[in-house]
Amino acid sequence: MSAASSSEPACSSNPERRGNLMSRQVTIVGAAGIPCGRVQTAPGLDLQVLEHEVLAACVLEAVGQAGVGKESIDAMVLCHPRPYTQQLYFGTFMANYLRLPSNGVVMEVVGNGMTGGLAFDQAAQMIETGRADVALALGVNFETAICSAEHMNRSMRATGDVAFHTPFGFTPISWYAMDAMRYMHETGATRAEIASVAVKNRRHAALNPLAQYRELVTLEEVLAQRPIVEPFGLYEVPPRSDGAACIVLASEDAARALGKPYARVIGRGFHHEGAHQISEVPTDMIAFNAAVRAGGQAYRAAGLQADDIDVAELYAPCTIVEVLVSEALGLTPRGRGAAQAAAGETALGGRIPICTSGGLIARGHPPFITPLYSYLELFEQLTRRAGARQVPEAAIAMAACELGNYNAALVHILEAAA
Amino acid sequence: MSDAAQMPAMPRLPMAGTRPYPPAQSSFTSAFWCGLDEGRFMATHCTACDRLSFPPKPFCPHCWHRSVQWRAIEPRGVVYSATTIHAAPKVFGAEAPYQVGIIDLRAGLRIATRLLGNTPTARLLDREVELAVLAYEDGPLFAARLIDPL
Repeated sequence: MSAASSSEPACSSNPERRGNLMSRQVTIVGAAGIPCGRVQTAPGLDLQVLEHEVLAACVLEAVGQAGVGKESIDAMVLCHPRPYTQQLYFGTFMANYLRLPSNGVVMEVVGNGMTGGLAFDQAAQMIETGRADVALALGVNFETAICSAEHMNRSMRATGDVAFHTPFGFTPISWYAMDAMRYMHETGATRAEIASVAVKNRRHAALNPLAQYRELVTLEEVLAQRPIVEPFGLYEVPPRSDGAACIVLASEDAARALGKPYARVIGRGFHHEGAHQISEVPTDMIAFNAAVRAGGQAYRAAGLQADDIDVAELYAPCTIVEVLVSEALGLTPRGRGAAQAAAGETALGGRIPICTSGGLIARGHPPFITPLYSYLELFEQLTRRAGARQVPEAAIAMAACELGNYNAALVHILEAAA
Repeated sequence: MSDAAQMPAMPRLPMAGTRPYPPAQSSFTSAFWCGLDEGRFMATHCTACDRLSFPPKPFCPHCWHRSVQWRAIEPRGVVYSATTIHAAPKVFGAEAPYQVGIIDLRAGLRIATRLLGNTPTARLLDREVELAVLAYEDGPLFAARLIDPL
């Protein structure tokens, strides 16, 4: 913790953090999710697992854990579901399914892999502006019953310009693969150093009951996997995952009234560089400039710097992405992220534990809700519920998520409160 | 397009069959694909701010002026990065594994396209490439290949 934050017992009194006098402090008071994995049933089976039943169970668990009354909830921001979901108008349907009237908003948001982050951010704005005292950010992402080649036939249309990039056969993760090739070329980082991120994340996932892949793997096993997109094999790219999660946000007054530990949102940053996967103007693609800018905004808002962060959950679909976004956010030095990961600095027990949940690679990656699992993990860390994954003394946490090849980044800084 | 004559012609490579994912064209962008079929690689050039853009647009994305003209640009550049895709979308499954890359053209534009040849991926970076026309039976695509593959 910096001198600035440790000298302030109650940060809600800090006008710089509040931004303006009309804004209110936002907190997280509850979070719940199902284990990531294969949940979706194949189309046509007699018995189906229904998205709304699964999500409603998460809502009841998270709200019950928070101890807030149903009547105090005044906003519900949902992640738009995958195109495979049978129920349309999912958000307004859920309001009915839960019999949850709202004065704030009921809406679905979508923004590629940032969708869960945008749901959280929008719910936070409902609290901040006083339109709700309690708000839910929630979503369900089912897709694993659709085979990968079929799924990629759709996702390839997200890989740039559908007329000028898609015809060449790019896949979403091919951009990250090219980041990795460039990173090794420029920095001299090795394949093994980058691959070590996957080994580390499996170790973290082994301790997380919500993680999809909890078996430990060795570096040799990671490097020996069948190739997916060079230089990555199967264990360095995201798995296909289903998931569902609900985060309960509240005003600081509402959070205090609950009388339990909670997490306070003390910084937020967003930047979109006005490019989608690739910029026609040559730039340093591996600098992840959007994350640099968004991180800078969040640090300034919180009055903190990178070495104040105790634990971070980074949206990183491939090993290299965790390396590059760690560098962009200042958690590791530029060009040294892979080496520091290999040296254990980003592992539990290391200097700055990153992706204690196991991250996208091991915890799982249900894309349209993935960032919700980041807030869930950080809430558990900051309220001392993380069990064997607990980062001792974790007081300040960072979440980051992205659009495209980190062409945009959304960063939140959270702090433990009681 | 007056400078087209000074440009090296793009090699034209006959391709069997049809394009796996034919590009959508508008009445505006069809000029690009027609030019490509004739061996020219064209970007849009803004007469107000003098900047190029690609993919081509009927306005300048940098300054938002509508005064753009087609300009044939030198079909040569350097590989910024590259990868080999083994797990491919269904429509490209028959071609996998294949190489794609990001090319910084000499004209100052960054594009992404297919890479031809069998050079190991790691040895493609920072190498000089030329753009070629892939003449499929249903229309053209473009790709990059090393000028000196050794």
